Amino acid sequence: MRVALKIWRADAASGERELRAYEVDAPEWVTLLDVLDIIKDRHDGTLAYRKSCRMMICGSCGMRMDGAAVLACKTRMQAIAASGHVPVVSAMGNLPLIKDLVVDMDPFWAKYRAVNPYLKPGYTVPPAGREHRVSQERMNTIHKESLCINCGCCVSECNAMDASPEFLGPQALAKAMRFAGDPRDGAKLERLEGVNGQHGIWECTRCYFCNERCPKGVDPRDAIAKLGAESIKEGIDRDMGAKHAKWFVTSAKTTGWLRETELVPKTQGIVEAVKQVRFALGLARVGKVPPPFPPHVARDVRESRRLYDLLGEQNRRGYAGIVQGEKALARLAHGHIEGSRDPYGEGSFPRPFIAAEEGAP
Amino acid sequence: MESGHDVLVIGAGCAGMRAAIEAFDAGCDVALLSKIHPTRSHSGAAEGGINAALGNASEDTPELHSFDTVKGSDYLADQDAVEILCAEGPADVYQLENWGAVFSRTDDGRIAQRPFGAAGAPRTAYAADITGHVLIQVLYEQVVKRAIPVYEEFFAWKLVEDDGRCVGVIAWDLLRGGLRALSAKTTILATGGAGRLYTGTTNAYACTGDGMAMALRVGVALEDMEMMQFHPTTLAPTGVLITEGCRGEGAFLLNRHGERFLKRYAPNAMELASRDVISRAEQTEIDQGRGLEGNVLLDLRHLGAQRILERLHGTRELSMVFAGIDPIYDPIPVRPGAHYHMGGVDTDVLGRTSLDGLAAAGEVACISVHGANRLGGNALMETITFGRRAGQEAAERAFRLGEVSVPAAALRDAEAELSVLLSRSQGERPWRIREELAESMHVNFGVFRREEQMAEQGEVIQRLRARYERVVVDDKGEVFNSDLTQALELGFLLELAECMVLAGRARKESRGAHARPSDYPARDDDNYLRHTLVVSTSDGPRLEWSPVTITKWEPAVRAY
Repeated sequence: MRVALKIWRADAASGERELRAYEVDAPEWVTLLDVLDIIKDRHDGTLAYRKSCRMMICGSCGMRMDGAAVLACKTRMQAIAASGHVPVVSAMGNLPLIKDLVVDMDPFWAKYRAVNPYLKPGYTVPPAGREHRVSQERMNTIHKESLCINCGCCVSECNAMDASPEFLGPQALAKAMRFAGDPRDGAKLERLEGVNGQHGIWECTRCYFCNERCPKGVDPRDAIAKLGAESIKEGIDRDMGAKHAKWFVTSAKTTGWLRETELVPKTQGIVEAVKQVRFALGLARVGKVPPPFPPHVARDVRESRRLYDLLGEQNRRGYAGIVQGEKALARLAHGHIEGSRDPYGEGSFPRPFIAAEEGAP
Repeated sequence: MESGHDVLVIGAGCAGMRAAIEAFDAGCDVALLSKIHPTRSHSGAAEGGINAALGNASEDTPELHSFDTVKGSDYLADQDAVEILCAEGPADVYQLENWGAVFSRTDDGRIAQRPFGAAGAPRTAYAADITGHVLIQVLYEQVVKRAIPVYEEFFAWKLVEDDGRCVGVIAWDLLRGGLRALSAKTTILATGGAGRLYTGTTNAYACTGDGMAMALRVGVALEDMEMMQFHPTTLAPTGVLITEGCRGEGAFLLNRHGERFLKRYAPNAMELASRDVISRAEQTEIDQGRGLEGNVLLDLRHLGAQRILERLHGTRELSMVFAGIDPIYDPIPVRPGAHYHMGGVDTDVLGRTSLDGLAAAGEVACISVHGANRLGGNALMETITFGRRAGQEAAERAFRLGEVSVPAAALRDAEAELSVLLSRSQGERPWRIREELAESMHVNFGVFRREEQMAEQGEVIQRLRARYERVVVDDKGEVFNSDLTQALELGFLLELAECMVLAGRARKESRGAHARPSDYPARDDDNYLRHTLVVSTSDGPRLEWSPVTITKWEPAVRAY
């Protein structure tokens, strides 16, 4: 088949940048990475990109296609080529460009190192020759986070990092959760303190682009939510973001709706709130602020209180309260619904047999 | 500009990082050097698990593990090395766990173990089907914890020999351009395998045998190079790996009729026979017309959705992306693909080579613990145990020796050689040579081997090498010039292919992965219970032999 694409060729040293069009012959099974290989081998050896395993595990080939991060080796081209669409390929975002599709990963790894990404055993290491026993169920807490291949796709798409380059970002924070949530780790509080700093978890804007673009189902935004919930559970709530989140909960369980007039003082403190009185009065004049008195209580407030209590009864305060969605995700991502088709039904491959028992074919 | 270290580890996969950690902990100045970032290394693509006689799933002993490994090797493994691996493996696995490796767990919270091919007990410790990924992550975490320096994206090109000693390496700096000389009292090769010699391979693009070829060029022997393992379950057309863990969990292999054909080849072990046996069985079914478009079928359907989602989620993802198959509902088409080099740089049980100051560990090395056929799960264990031992030995050596340096002439010579390649503007691009090499190796030096095909392959390689002399690199730039490094890799591959064919023709028997059903169908212990060695000379490669070390297990009939 013919595959056409455009590539943003770039040279950081000279600052030159050019969108170049390519069209090549390729077998139908090719991925974006295979197409890049064909271009490099047969048309232009100067094209630069990273690659290695070509099976979605090494994390080398993160790049952007049509403005969104992908692993080139995971991106099959047949449907795109058949549709006539000509995708635009460029380097990942939020990381300094080096050449063509190659970015400087140093800032990425600096943030990785910043979360102390190694186990600090919270137990006496068993004498040589034994493992530390821990249940699978408890280890499942960090199942998704430990799938991360450090490809950078989440960082590329992070809107908060775009605005605040010093934000630790989705990759480092997912790594932080991988240890903060590890039942074997003994440094949870220290880790939570570490991610509650100025450029920590509360700088996330919750746009969910990281979850959307992660090629491995790590769901970094969920990891950030878990770190936040666990921080509040442990009383680490000095950040405005934590206070803001806490007020939502308080509001929901007391009156059943968000009391915005109280949100500002609860989040930013009295002093900051006083400074904004003129602004608030302006809003009130045009009917944008509901009067705080008499307090309005939602009719079904008991349901929201019940939800809150239920989390406690199920012992799901902190990170356990964030939905562990891996199985649901596996179904959504791959269209698997239990029992949706009989694997041995009509049109399926026949049931296996052993010739010695049932006669050779 | 030169940088010097006590120990320089080339390659930062499981073996390389484990070696560096050990040397660091012993108090050495150690650095890693790798052409790709450490976590990109192909150890991370290992799926099924790591073998150690922990006895967590049923009773097991290092003794039993050793026997399985020796039998699996078709008695070509050196038994002293095998016994070390199996005795020291368990403590090494526990250490990985204590460092934070996210292993799957048994009901009572211990490291889970599953059955694997040709193993007498469920011995393969695993992390679902991403064990290599989990191990590469934990080792990198430990490297970061120690702040061990890494020369990232440095392409090692030449080992430097001075006065009978290896004194370091000359490497191309991919990000900044230019050759750099790095000196070390001990250089440890941990560069992995050379699967890129074949079209259908489980190996990454990075697996181009760099360390083997560099060692060959400084006069170190390559051992058992004819022993290339074909993994029975890889996806067409490119050879993406589907783990043996599927069969460990109970998957069936079927021909086009739905028959579990292994009943006719390995009636007792069935799908859990050794890899060489199963790959030959598959190829026979395919050759005799009982395949399906060049494949057989790996059937997971009876395992059920839950087990597949919990323990084989990576396999499901690979099948869906690369084959368009959801293994919950349909069998996966698979075929044998080049997977692992049992052969490699001739080393002793401390990783040392015949050249003072040069060591090797992991797939690049041949100790030999795998002989003519490796058991699934033994490679990861080898990287850890022998990586550790090589690191320890290199550290001890560093304390005994004074500083070394790379002679200035070595760097100048290398720069001159490189400028010849870079200045050439008329000639052939490398890709066609690379493709012809990989396709011809697949046809002529694959699962089954014939004298006339191997002879023809020897000639093909000579022709390709002559063409390689005039190869042209398009990219003349300094920054991320992968066009240059890919051309250099092709040079490595061509030299290794020549060694493989030389050793393959000399071994006139069938043993493990070296199967010659048409002319020498049987194992011949009288003449060939010995290792091939290939040494580079000015007249081309020369073949030698070396004895197999036997401690406890005399060669016996091998059936599964």
